[in-house]
Amino acid sequence: MTVPPICLDVRGVGHRFGARLLYRDISFSVGNGDVLAVTGHNGSGKSTLLKIIAGLLQPTEGSVELAMNGEVTPPSRRSNFIGYVSPEMALYQELTAVENIRFFGALRGQTFEKIDLREMLAHVGLKGRGSDRVGDYSSGMKQRLKYLIAIMHNPELLLLDEPGANLDVHGTRIVEQIIHERREAGFLTILATNEPEEELWAGCVIPVATV
Amino acid sequence: MGSSALKGTLGFLMVYVIYGAFNIAHGAIGFAEKGIAARIIFFHVPCAVYSSVAYMVATWYAVKHLWLLGGTNKSNTALEDSDYKSAAAMELGFLFCILATITGSIFAGVQWGSFWNWDPRETSIVIMLLLYASYHLLRTAFTTDPAKRARLSAVYAIIAVIPSIYLIWVVPRVLHTMHPTTTLSNPADTSLSYKLVLYPSFLAFTLLFIWLMQLRVSTMKLIEARRKRRLHAMEAQR
Amino acid sequence: MGRVRYSCCNGMNDQTWIQQALALFRKDILAETRTRVAFGAMGVFSFASLLLIALAMVGLKGVLIQNSSGQAVPAWNNSGKMSLLWVLLCFAAFAGLSHSFVYEEETGTASTLKLHMGPQAVYAGKLLFNTTVLLAVSLVITPMYMVMTGMDAGTLPMFFAVMLSGTASLSAVATVVAALAARARSTGALFGAVGLPMLTVLLVLIMNAARQCYIRSESAVQYLRPLTGIVCFGVLIVTLSAMLFHYIWED
Repeated sequence: MTVPPICLDVRGVGHRFGARLLYRDISFSVGNGDVLAVTGHNGSGKSTLLKIIAGLLQPTEGSVELAMNGEVTPPSRRSNFIGYVSPEMALYQELTAVENIRFFGALRGQTFEKIDLREMLAHVGLKGRGSDRVGDYSSGMKQRLKYLIAIMHNPELLLLDEPGANLDVHGTRIVEQIIHERREAGFLTILATNEPEEELWAGCVIPVATV
Repeated sequence: MGSSALKGTLGFLMVYVIYGAFNIAHGAIGFAEKGIAARIIFFHVPCAVYSSVAYMVATWYAVKHLWLLGGTNKSNTALEDSDYKSAAAMELGFLFCILATITGSIFAGVQWGSFWNWDPRETSIVIMLLLYASYHLLRTAFTTDPAKRARLSAVYAIIAVIPSIYLIWVVPRVLHTMHPTTTLSNPADTSLSYKLVLYPSFLAFTLLFIWLMQLRVSTMKLIEARRKRRLHAMEAQR
Repeated sequence: MGRVRYSCCNGMNDQTWIQQALALFRKDILAETRTRVAFGAMGVFSFASLLLIALAMVGLKGVLIQNSSGQAVPAWNNSGKMSLLWVLLCFAAFAGLSHSFVYEEETGTASTLKLHMGPQAVYAGKLLFNTTVLLAVSLVITPMYMVMTGMDAGTLPMFFAVMLSGTASLSAVATVVAALAARARSTGALFGAVGLPMLTVLLVLIMNAARQCYIRSESAVQYLRPLTGIVCFGVLIVTLSAMLFHYIWED
């Protein structure tokens, strides 16, 4: 698989909630194979920055551009190239894991054979649990399923908010593996984290601080 | 027009209309109590008209608010301004709607012997009252986030235009009306002494509307400024 | 992910909003068959209201009143029954139709949807789902109501036209108000209080159209005019809602 040149350009981004200024003038530029960690204390706006990058939130200042092959993707289509794992993004509790996968796949035009599904589930350590309802899953298993759904369309940009949340040693190793494979393949990954071990996965670190 | 000139003209016109309603206009033939009852129209009709005009003004600013939001150059003051104007017009519409309902009901009581007749226009105006009330109810639900409140109440104001258009044009035709539609909408049928008071009365209510709008918008701005000052003080303490 | 090859590629990303809306609709139907919250709430609610109406009106059976032209007519007549059926459906809509939006907001799946699909597709999917559920409820409740109150259908084509256009317009209003109310903290109370005033106008139109079911008329215009009013109302609400939905749905 050949990966097109990716370039994420964050220019002078600042955000305020009502009268409260979170931060201002955050700028960086990353591309193929980069793994970036966004760090900062609780409430500093790491998650907000990820949402802004994903195009879910309009920044009050500055702009974010995701370019593919040198072409800037319009914000409305940006989410096609993005995978996102976040504690704020839940899956459907009353549906089974396979039904969740099929639904989110259908939104992107993906259809899956049974054998693919089995392989995908095994990849994140959920082998044989595909027909269980997500509501019956433990929080660590839900997190693994979120990973599966975030990477099943091979997104050029993967955003991970608290990547290790609720995961056991085995789960953390899977995440490490995913990040490693993406780096090798030339995809872009951004994590927002407070864990020193998770910071080590990243090639560079951007500290976010409240002004 | 300057603020004091506006207030002066408004004061003069209102005194004239109140005086004229009892001393210039003649008792109208065909109305109860030797035509005395008909004098309420100098206040009832402008109130009724402004209860719909206020809605149009509010919708105009709601559209402006969303249009500004969609634009590239977002200025916070312009956004807040359009939101306050929309909300202020909604409040005034609610006020005029209540006044029109009360004056109409008094007139109906004297003229037709019952304070409530389920006449189509009476039905329309209570539904209009309900629409205004639900707008203000929606606003109260978003006290913590002014931007969200402004956006969602603007959307509601625009969507509720459809029922209010139906209220003005369709509902009165659907239900049989007993309201004297022709007397006032056809100027030739209205006597000169009535025109002498009714037209200045419309002007007076227009000025009243503008003045109240200005007052309300500036109080809203003051309240918001105080809220922001408190927030900043809290930030500084931390 | 080098080692795992999935049966997809990045060229398949451009789904039309219609396909996305249908996927959302299928998902909602599937979830509804699991939980039956919306259908159950509306079904039980409207059945209880049906009983209440039937019981409250028992005393009116056989009572005659004078109409405006001096004739003696039954007090509890077909148009009265039809009007109350619509009041019932209206309340039923407000008992259950907010569920699909509130659920997405409360469980946090709303943000996931925002990442995966555009606001227009979400609106279309939810509108389709709400209309389907409301149609299903009225399909069950209306025959029960007719049996229990002895209501006639009158002119059948007109009756079906009123039921169909009325239900669709009703769900159009309820859907957009549900989306608005779901963004607030106190959704439940807000939903009914904000939505019912908008529905009052629609209800006046529907009751007017319903009266036509029981009036014998030679010209089709007599039937078409009240129907046009209802359909226009629904179409206008859907158009405006679709245009403004992204202001409601996105932050």
